[in-house]
Amino acid sequence: MKTTAWIRNTLLLAAAYVAVPLALGGNQYVMSMVVAALVIGGVALSWALLGNLGGMVSFGHSAFFGVGAYVSALTTVKLGVPVLPAMLLGGAGAAAAAVIMLPVLRLRGPYFALAILAYAHIFRILATEWSSVTGGAGGVAHIPALPTVFGFELASKSGAYLVVLTLVVLCALAYSRIRASHYGLALRAMHDSEDATRVVGVNSTLLKGLMLLVSAFMAGLFGAFNAHYINFLEPDYAFSGLWVTLPIVAAIFGGYRTILGPVLGAVVVYLVDQLVFKSLIPTGHQLVLGLLLVAMIVFSPNGLLPLLLKALRRKEAGKEKQHA
Amino acid sequence: MLELDNVSVRFGGLTAVDAVSLKVGSSDVIGLVGPNGAGKTTLFNAISGLVRPTSGQIRFEGRNVMATSMYQRARLGLGRTFQIPQPMHELTVRENLIVAQRFGTGKVDHAKLDTILDFTSLADKAGRDASSELALTELKALEVAKALATDPKLLLLDEVLAGLETNGKRRFMGMLKDLHAKFGVGIVMIEHDIETISNLCQRVAVLNFGQLIADGTPEAVFRDPAVIKSYVGADAGGPDA
Amino acid sequence: MTELIAQALYSGLLQGGSYALIALGLALVFGTMKVINLAHGELVLLAAYIAYSVESGLGLGPMFAIPIALVIVSLTSVGVYAIISRIKKDREINSLILTYGIGVILTNFILLVWKADIRSTSSSWLQEGFEVGPLFSMRSEVIFFGVSLVLMAALWRWLSTSWYGRAVRAVASNRDAAKLMGIDPRRTEIVSFLVAGILAAFAGVALFSYGVIQPAYGSALTVKAFIITVLAGIGSIPGVLLAAVLLGVCEALTVTLASSALQELSGMVLFLLVLFILPNGLFGAARRRG
Repeated sequence: MKTTAWIRNTLLLAAAYVAVPLALGGNQYVMSMVVAALVIGGVALSWALLGNLGGMVSFGHSAFFGVGAYVSALTTVKLGVPVLPAMLLGGAGAAAAAVIMLPVLRLRGPYFALAILAYAHIFRILATEWSSVTGGAGGVAHIPALPTVFGFELASKSGAYLVVLTLVVLCALAYSRIRASHYGLALRAMHDSEDATRVVGVNSTLLKGLMLLVSAFMAGLFGAFNAHYINFLEPDYAFSGLWVTLPIVAAIFGGYRTILGPVLGAVVVYLVDQLVFKSLIPTGHQLVLGLLLVAMIVFSPNGLLPLLLKALRRKEAGKEKQHA
Repeated sequence: MLELDNVSVRFGGLTAVDAVSLKVGSSDVIGLVGPNGAGKTTLFNAISGLVRPTSGQIRFEGRNVMATSMYQRARLGLGRTFQIPQPMHELTVRENLIVAQRFGTGKVDHAKLDTILDFTSLADKAGRDASSELALTELKALEVAKALATDPKLLLLDEVLAGLETNGKRRFMGMLKDLHAKFGVGIVMIEHDIETISNLCQRVAVLNFGQLIADGTPEAVFRDPAVIKSYVGADAGGPDA
Repeated sequence: MTELIAQALYSGLLQGGSYALIALGLALVFGTMKVINLAHGELVLLAAYIAYSVESGLGLGPMFAIPIALVIVSLTSVGVYAIISRIKKDREINSLILTYGIGVILTNFILLVWKADIRSTSSSWLQEGFEVGPLFSMRSEVIFFGVSLVLMAALWRWLSTSWYGRAVRAVASNRDAAKLMGIDPRRTEIVSFLVAGILAAFAGVALFSYGVIQPAYGSALTVKAFIITVLAGIGSIPGVLLAAVLLGVCEALTVTLASSALQELSGMVLFLLVLFILPNGLFGAARRRG
């Protein structure tokens, strides 16, 4: 990696891990919003990964989120598995759910998107109806919170923040590694020239399937975290369409072609949604999200954040020219 | 090395390839000719795995490959170029070769890639974007280079010379001439130009309406009345015309 | 037992008519523009809620809502087209996200205006029983099944004989060739969205007349329409009707034999079965793979 990028990333990490908790740690309200925003950011990251590397647009990431949440919650509540390993199990459960979706991979773009949407519906109904296992519409209560590690309470707002931040960092690293590898090259080529890759020995179906599993695992991880963070779960919440809409809006807002774009987009979009939209239109505040999504796709499909940054940079360049 | 045993490919009511039997050895350079629509590219599609034959057997190096998918056949050593070049999008020329070599052979050997780039005259274009910054000659060269990068034992070349002007054609012919010698691959090439075929190949197979109507040396094949008929039609030539 | 099953078959058949209208609207738009309108189900739902407003506000039966629903829903449908046509690049992917966003807007608009309560018609005339031998249904079910058959026949005729209908088919099969023939694809696109809106309007009013509606239902309707197109394969109007009836019957049987809560699930399971076992749909011969 270039030195400038390295410096920038280290500074970002330092700010995120140290500066933010120190500055905001006292304000429970803001901290809880940041945690929620990062959960959305994580799902947005997994969505963008599937789109950029796998070439698939998914409207069903709520399925992975919900399955991850339920698997993790149920293994801790019913089987006594400790929380942190259970979260990994949640991710694995979501990946298993993705395995069931693999046959859908051979469908073309629009058909794939709808098929995933159908799967999301299926899982929600399963969670509601399979009451013996999932607790039905009532959901699961008293989900164990994040543990205390070395005397540090991970269940506190700051603790939860550090956990979810670490999850985001790890997922971003994995994403970046895959993208830079030979697999990343092959995946990029597969978008528009799949036969060209197959004829030289690329098992394109396998690669796409793996990307779906990775994306599902990540989304499931964040669903699991969320379950142990709010300690309560019910089908309409875990599989809510909001877990589809918000990550998509976040990813597109922040620029879904970059790795950190979706995460930054999530922070901005979620905070604006909670602080502004919700106070304007309490029910149906999603309507503004929908409007934002439509506007972005029409006017700036590569993201608003990159556009703003470019405009800022141009202004700086302009100012420099003036002073020169 | 490659054995086709009564291979037929039918699409609905249309028989594109009709009971073709052919043997290709590891040191053969074979020309595949025939009028347009004779089924040559379909035969290539069947051999490389893009299309499933309706009947017959295909054996590569002794093993039945009918159930092997296209990417697996590439890894086994069956390389193929497309008539209309299909570069890998969003990748540079070098990256195209890296992917081909990495997934076709299992590892990346940059020295070997450089040899291939030199051989196909693409060395100075290595950093260019494959789908948007190459001329036709270069795209066709990339097709050959990609296939070579998978370290093939057999190379199926589909009309590599089509659409090239005189200079490009001459350069390519020189390259094709050295292909077998330098890389030790068996070659089956689809071309239309009889002179080219006679020049490059020791053996020619002729396809007409999906059927193999001749298989022998260029001299023998191009004097075969059945072959002449297939190219120029039944009423051409002869004292009664 | 057999009476229950026969009744389920009959109810499913009647329901299939409206389902077919919804699926046909989705397929028509996809055919001409290669775009799947993820907000299509919401258009149907909008028509249903308009019928509700007409009934509760003006005291008139849903039948009178049809003209109003036709105008509003068709205009909304064409509005969707106007937005989609502004997309310059990556139309396939971007239009998916776009129509998804429009669906979110419509669903929440409905939620805002009509609140989350479940609604259905209070017209007793429509709900009155109508018997065909031992088989029982609501009058509304039979009426709207007849309406949907008439509409499908009209659509078939329109596609095969009228200029615009044949233009739609031409653009669907080969856009560039159609342009060379002097057909303006944009006009046919608008027409297909218009017709899809008309079909959606009728389906929506029908839905309100014999079923229950709630704001979240829009997305489920789009999924149902999609399942039907998967079942039917790339086929003809009769194929879509058959697939729609099949879905309706499956749902009815599930409600009768299992529980009403699993009704949605039956369609999904059917969809998965077809995906695994018959990837070309029940009737379609064309491959859907890219």
